[in-house]
Amino acid sequence: MSESTHLGSQLVNLCSVLLLLSCFAVVAQRRLSACVDLFALQSFFLATTAALVAFLTGHRHIYLAAALTVVVKVIVLPRILRKVIERLNVSRELVMNINIPAGLLICGGLVVVAFFITQPIIPLGYLLTRDSLAIALAIILIGFFTMIARKKAVTQMVGFLVMENGVFLGTTAAAYGMPLIVELGVFFDVLVAGLIAGIYTHRLQDAFDSVDTSELTALKE
Amino acid sequence: MTTLLTVLLACYLLGGVLPLCTSRPSLQTILAHSGAAAAGVAGIALGLLGLFAAQPLTLSVPSNIPSLTFALRLDPLAAFFVLTISLVGLAASIYAYGYVREFTGRVSVGLLGSLLNGFLLSMTLVVLADNGFFFLILWEAMSLLSYVLVVTDHERPGVREAGLFYLIMTHVGTAFIILTFVIFSQEAGSFSFDDFRHPDQRLPEGLRSIAFFTALIGFGAKAGIVPLHVWLPYAHPAAPSHISALMSGVMIKTAVYALIRVYFDFLEGVFPWWWGFTVLSVGALSALLGVMYALMEHDLKSLLAFHSVENIGIILLGIGAGMIFHTYGLHELAALGLLAGLYHTINHATFKALLFLGAGAVQFATHTRDIEEYGGLLRRMPWTGLFFLIGAVSIAALPPTNGFVSEWLVFQSLFLSVQLPTLFLKLMLPIAAAILALTGALALACFAKAFGMSFLAQPRSAHARQAVEVPLSMRIGMGLLAGSCVVLGLAPMLIVPLLDRVTGPLTGVAISEKVLALDGWVVAPVTVEFSSISTPVLAALLVGGGLVGLLIARWLGKGLPVRYSRTWGCGLPLTPRMEYTATGFVQPIKQVFETIYQPTVKLEREFLEQSKYFIRHQRFEFHIEPIFETYMYRPVVTKLLAVAERLRVIQVGSLHLYLTYIFVTLVLLLLWAG
Repeated sequence: MSESTHLGSQLVNLCSVLLLLSCFAVVAQRRLSACVDLFALQSFFLATTAALVAFLTGHRHIYLAAALTVVVKVIVLPRILRKVIERLNVSRELVMNINIPAGLLICGGLVVVAFFITQPIIPLGYLLTRDSLAIALAIILIGFFTMIARKKAVTQMVGFLVMENGVFLGTTAAAYGMPLIVELGVFFDVLVAGLIAGIYTHRLQDAFDSVDTSELTALKE
Repeated sequence: MTTLLTVLLACYLLGGVLPLCTSRPSLQTILAHSGAAAAGVAGIALGLLGLFAAQPLTLSVPSNIPSLTFALRLDPLAAFFVLTISLVGLAASIYAYGYVREFTGRVSVGLLGSLLNGFLLSMTLVVLADNGFFFLILWEAMSLLSYVLVVTDHERPGVREAGLFYLIMTHVGTAFIILTFVIFSQEAGSFSFDDFRHPDQRLPEGLRSIAFFTALIGFGAKAGIVPLHVWLPYAHPAAPSHISALMSGVMIKTAVYALIRVYFDFLEGVFPWWWGFTVLSVGALSALLGVMYALMEHDLKSLLAFHSVENIGIILLGIGAGMIFHTYGLHELAALGLLAGLYHTINHATFKALLFLGAGAVQFATHTRDIEEYGGLLRRMPWTGLFFLIGAVSIAALPPTNGFVSEWLVFQSLFLSVQLPTLFLKLMLPIAAAILALTGALALACFAKAFGMSFLAQPRSAHARQAVEVPLSMRIGMGLLAGSCVVLGLAPMLIVPLLDRVTGPLTGVAISEKVLALDGWVVAPVTVEFSSISTPVLAALLVGGGLVGLLIARWLGKGLPVRYSRTWGCGLPLTPRMEYTATGFVQPIKQVFETIYQPTVKLEREFLEQSKYFIRHQRFEFHIEPIFETYMYRPVVTKLLAVAERLRVIQVGSLHLYLTYIFVTLVLLLLWAG
């Protein structure tokens, strides 16, 4: 393995770790607006990783994906979410299904699980990004966990987007990204999902006077 | 033929799309139904051409989805059903010009018309499809579109429940159909009907029998055979009448088509005798029970729906007899049985659609479906009355109508069982004939009731008193079908050769020469010596006899004094309260078949305080037990609900809990896979 790719691989791993760390930060953060900021930061790291991969491998289309990540996930979606938060009367999430220390511990466990699961797969890969696969899986699991642990619709939305970031990192790690058309479709989907969730949160606020999704239990007869 | 097919598809598509592009109901009506009518004309031509084509027309467009090709094949069997569908479709769409006015304002007329086009198109394509996957897609489209059409009037009570019931039944059926096709594809290696026909290796005997039963159940649910008939009396009355006419007249016939296709084409007509016997038994049971429940119905459209069960039974009697003969190598008789079944198929399509359109016309004029509230409509709606009478006479199989010809052929093929080698079947087929005879008699009673109580005597309600004749377009639609009934009855020499083109390839022999003796003026069941009949002569005799009787009466009565008074009046002024009611009319039959009906009769009387000889108030109530629903379906539903209630424990309605379910499953699966 040549020195440059080795260095490149190290850099990719570094970026991936930053992504993972920002995940933990999201889990530990009570303030809604900070959660959104952290998500924007994570997306920025993701875009950096993607650009790095594009630079190291020469796959041009990953640049485009990275640019789209910046536009959609660093600029547009956080803006939508901030607007949603502005219109709500909550800025902090006080009650959670699982409190923060326990949540962090569980997330640590999830990272271990992710590494354990991917252990037999990683040596089979030959790409320089292959080590990121474990991190991607960990991010997906943590994003999912956030959706379970939090009660407010906004943070659940952030959890969902974190999951999406994990998926993106995973595809980049495992196969240098998906075909461009699929990538574009996914971005569009995420954008639409963000818009719909924003509207739905408003509706929730109007109907229940709260954005706590636990209130939805009332819909059951 | 390809051009005609393209025209047909284009007309249906235009009729489906154009009405949605405008918002004026009158224009929507014209666009939608003109498209459907034009496609109907094209379909009739296509069907006729397809019947006489030397080679079946095949078209195929490949797709990206594995084992799905958009393959069409127009062989004589398909052509015959295209002809039937298009004929009824044409009449129904002409009728609908006037009829949909009833719905203006309540539902979107444009959408209704558009869906009508889609429904007709899906039915036409179902019989043309030549690929199992494609067939299933179209079959589902047909079922779903008909469901949507059934619930057109969803704000009326009971309509949504009827629709849901239909949806469930039809999907249970589809599940069995999918199973059938999967079994075939196992050996054929693909979903193409061509491979089903000539598989690389024949299916083992056991699998063939399973395919027989799954097909019978799957298509039987759509056809409405007993005991899968329970949805018909709910769904057909709930739909708008021209849709009921299509559903009852032709949609359930697509199941007959599919059964013939599966048994005679895919299974290549090789089957043990008990298959045919099963079909025959199911047919006999459906015929008898269908008509018996029809008798007890006082909702005109439910009554007609039960008669569909009866007539599907008669069709299956013919097909079942044909299958039995086929097993024993009696190919001419097999062709006869099949021909009788198919003849009854097109006959039932015409007269049942006619009757449903007639019922719709009566409902249009009176705004009720209860026979007890009709009466005296013949004077107010003479054309509708005439057409309904033609339909009623045909379905009751009185000579010389079309129903008579085909039922007679079914009878003959059952009687010809003397040629069968086994004693058991020699005994059983005449018993089926006896059941059919009973069915015929009861059907006659039923339509004496349906016509007599609706159209004769004096109006029994204000609705009936204020009825007026329906618009011209509705009369044309009914007239077209009434004309078809007459032609199908009086001109078997035109129809039998057409049907022979269908049964010939399936059974290997052409019998049209033998069925039509004396240049086609006489119809005979293959052997003229056995028996024969001629409807034109019968018709001439009936008309002639009537005229002669009239002349004799005139001649004898010359010079006698003439007195004008009310018939059966006995000097009293007649009032509607003196009339026989529909309930009273069927009372004797109810008494005779008490075991089957299990009726509940309630009579409450309140007497005057002074004397118990004077009744102040009287209330009579009676209803019959729907035995299949009570003893077969209700226990299943109860069980299902109990299980669902148990499973509700995990359905608490919490978003977080659902997410946790998914999360735990995901992690466990990952760990297990890792």
